[in-house]
Amino acid sequence: MSETAMNESSEQNESQARVYFPDPLPGQERFVAPIDETPLREVDSVDEDVPPTSMWADAWKTLRRNPLFIISSILAIVVILVALFPNLFARQDPMACSLSDSLEPGRPGHPLGFDLQGCDVYSRVIHGARTSVAIGIMTTILVTVFGGLIGAIAGFFGGWVDAVLSRITDIFFAIPMILGAIVLLQMFRTSTSLWKIILTLTLFGWVNMARITRSAVLEAKNLEFNTASTALGSTPLRNLFRHIMPNSLAPVIVMATMSLGTYIVSEATLSFLGIGLPSTVVSWGGDISTAQNLLTTNPSVLFYPSAALAITVLAFIMMGDAVKDALDPKSRTA
Amino acid sequence: MTEADKNMTTNQEQQPLLDVRDLQVDFTADGRTVHAVRDASFNVYPGQWVAIVGESGSGKSTSAMAVLGLLPGTGKVTGGSIKLNGRELVGLDRKDYEALRGSQVGLVPQDPMSNLNPVWRIGSQVKEALTANHMDVSREKRSRLAKALAGDEEVTLKKSDDELFISSKDLPGLLEAARQALSDAGVADVDKTMEALKAEWDVGSETRWGVAKSLIDAGVDDDAAWKLAKEHVTGSDMDDRIAGLLSEAGLPEAATRARQYPHEFSGGMRQRALIAIGLASRPDLLIADEPTSALDVTVQKRILDHLRNLTESLGTAVLFITHDLGLAAERAQHIVVMYRGQVVESGPSLEVLQHPQHPYTKRLVQAAPSLASQRIISAKQRGQDAEDLLEHHVKGESTLERSEHVITVEHLTREFRLPRRKEMFKAVDDVSFSVKRGTTLAIVGESGSGKSTVANMVLHLLKPTSGRVTYEGQDIAGFGSHELMEFRRHVQPVFQNPYGSLDPMYSIYRSIEEPLRIHKIGNAKSRQKRVKELLDMVEMPESVMGRYPNELSGGQRQRIAIARAMALNPDVIICDEAVSALDVLVQDQVLRLLNDLQAEQGLSYLFITHDLAVVRQIADEVVVMQHGRLVEHATTDEVFDHPQRQYTKDLLDAIPGGKLRLGLD
Repeated sequence: MSETAMNESSEQNESQARVYFPDPLPGQERFVAPIDETPLREVDSVDEDVPPTSMWADAWKTLRRNPLFIISSILAIVVILVALFPNLFARQDPMACSLSDSLEPGRPGHPLGFDLQGCDVYSRVIHGARTSVAIGIMTTILVTVFGGLIGAIAGFFGGWVDAVLSRITDIFFAIPMILGAIVLLQMFRTSTSLWKIILTLTLFGWVNMARITRSAVLEAKNLEFNTASTALGSTPLRNLFRHIMPNSLAPVIVMATMSLGTYIVSEATLSFLGIGLPSTVVSWGGDISTAQNLLTTNPSVLFYPSAALAITVLAFIMMGDAVKDALDPKSRTA
Repeated sequence: MTEADKNMTTNQEQQPLLDVRDLQVDFTADGRTVHAVRDASFNVYPGQWVAIVGESGSGKSTSAMAVLGLLPGTGKVTGGSIKLNGRELVGLDRKDYEALRGSQVGLVPQDPMSNLNPVWRIGSQVKEALTANHMDVSREKRSRLAKALAGDEEVTLKKSDDELFISSKDLPGLLEAARQALSDAGVADVDKTMEALKAEWDVGSETRWGVAKSLIDAGVDDDAAWKLAKEHVTGSDMDDRIAGLLSEAGLPEAATRARQYPHEFSGGMRQRALIAIGLASRPDLLIADEPTSALDVTVQKRILDHLRNLTESLGTAVLFITHDLGLAAERAQHIVVMYRGQVVESGPSLEVLQHPQHPYTKRLVQAAPSLASQRIISAKQRGQDAEDLLEHHVKGESTLERSEHVITVEHLTREFRLPRRKEMFKAVDDVSFSVKRGTTLAIVGESGSGKSTVANMVLHLLKPTSGRVTYEGQDIAGFGSHELMEFRRHVQPVFQNPYGSLDPMYSIYRSIEEPLRIHKIGNAKSRQKRVKELLDMVEMPESVMGRYPNELSGGQRQRIAIARAMALNPDVIICDEAVSALDVLVQDQVLRLLNDLQAEQGLSYLFITHDLAVVRQIADEVVVMQHGRLVEHATTDEVFDHPQRQYTKDLLDAIPGGKLRLGLD
């Protein structure tokens, strides 16, 4: 700094209304860092070294590292494979029972022994998976589609549409799922169709999904990019499908994975209560129900279907938990 | 030699209050270490204002938080020293730090909206600051307690702590006695003096000493004044003290205000409450972390003026953090410029401002909107025509008159129904103006002035209650769906919030392509070509196409938003506070980009902002709005040189650093 410049600046200083410190205090002298120490970067340049990511890619990355997810997805895959191809895992026909084998312990070819009717327990556990998984998955799909649609319509249109749909939701919300299912299923006791269970569970299960979707849509609807899109010429319906729905998908996915397990439990509960599937259909719930009397004498007959049910439900609930962590909007920096 | 001598003497007189040496702060993320602050050194003397200036991510807030021992997340001081009053703070344990915060170092945080607890009354939050520092009992009691603890030894209490304040119970008696004393002393205009004293004597804030002094100044003799003060100023209770602190921070009717909740306060009032909290325990050093960046400029000026007076009377030093060099130079005596974690330049503020030496400082000085004196000249134009540089750049009145009106707004009014109110609230009240082709019209006003409502009506996103908007001579209210699409194609918006206006689920490519898709223009291939062109136009690399908005900074997102708006080759772009959320450097960059685009493509802009400094850089014409009404409408030069209305003058006054002169070496 030249001498003249110094004088100039001190003059400037004095011409100001307040003169605080005419001379710099010790430690506050003029300092300029060597320029090569911090070279200038372009203003606001894009860091091209960092690989691009999206929300889904980020979520997948988080999931891949989560042991909870790895364990639960392995379990889920095994359960689904068993459900799809039970014959690969158990040669024995679950319905081929002979009373002479009643409550026999395990022997080669029949590792888990026999139940009261002389049916192979191992085979029944394997074949029972299909019922549980099919009901769980189908119910989840129907609930997501139906509940999601109702919720999205209520949230998006608002006003009287929302008022009417929300009250209907409240009415269904007031009916306990199991109680409603008991009443309804009384009418179809003899039917062996899985659909009666699926539809009943859907009828009393869509409410939660509708509520979640409604609030997610309400939130996404008020975000500024919708206004921006409208100003670009987009129509409200296009906004709903192109912007609002994708942005409210995360909580819906979390809700769906987490409730899958509970639907499987519900099916087992209904079968246990004797109003689910008749005993001609192999299911875990039915087996648990028939084995309950043997709890004190032959607990293993009760134990295996129960364990299969517990592991399956646990797998799906753990998976839902891991997905929830990965998609949590709070952990995502906007 | 003389210089050195002088330094010696000052050295004996003054020790720095805060002395930061070679500070190093590291953050660890994913196993990687990031040096947020490297070898930063600066100091603050008692009673001084020191500003740390830099862009976001430069380490300025991190340095300040390191002083407070409040580094977020994985942040850790890994080297250097921080000394406060000669005491080393690095490595201090949690308890000692807690004792230090509030009583010795106070903080005024950045965001007044989120830093007050919404479920507690303002008064309770001030009280919390007092109790946390044991300032909630009277000075006598405090000294008694301290003596009891320390045995018979002499206890030294903090100097600024030995005050007795006027209590609300004392006040009527005090005023009565003062009036008597004044008339006894034969003061000429007793009523007028009493008015002045009444205004001065705030309950819970004015001290016994202050009362005596103002009486003596008014003409009462020393003994009588002291006797009166001793008799009638006997110390305030907690509520009085809280009210006193709030009124010191500039809140009127403080006692009532203290019983209110944060949601009943405006942004400016909340910031005042936070200042009261920060100063409640009379710290030696106040750290103000961008205290006014969320506020309107006029409010910013009032608050900073007040804060300066207050800290001056209390002798509090202020470490002021800002990204605006103009603001820093105006407020602080010493400036520290930080860039990428390092101190790149520091020195007396005017000197740094007038003779910036580091290229980064030079860049900051050039970009500071508050310091710019004229409209940005487009680089393209500069190339073509050297004479343009010399000529005045705002388009002359004659040019403006000759040009065609692209958008005309006539008697626009918009009313809203407020909850629990019968009468309608007029957000926009009879506003008329027109945007001429190829020029920029700026609408300026504080928040709540109705400027964004105007923008939404012009964009056909909101229906006016009365009045009309015409585009190319056609009333936009009468547009059918086909005409509306055509209108949307020609009139595009750029919104304020760069974080909200891009869909987070859309890649950058999809975002920019969206308008082309909506209007069914071209095929996949030609669209891709167009997107590349647009990215090039806003000076972004093609590689961002596959990225998502959350990977980009605010300024980058705003450039993407501009690219999206440009996709359909519009005639008019409506920028609703498009640069308000950005740092000065980025703001400058975006403004230049907008300006270049205007020069190249003959765009017309309707530019909505609260910042007159920005207006000067971009606009040809200015409309000033206040409470929904248009108060002034003229060319930019006219508004800046001869403002007609007081409101416009206030806005101009509030531009930080507006009166500073500077030169670039």
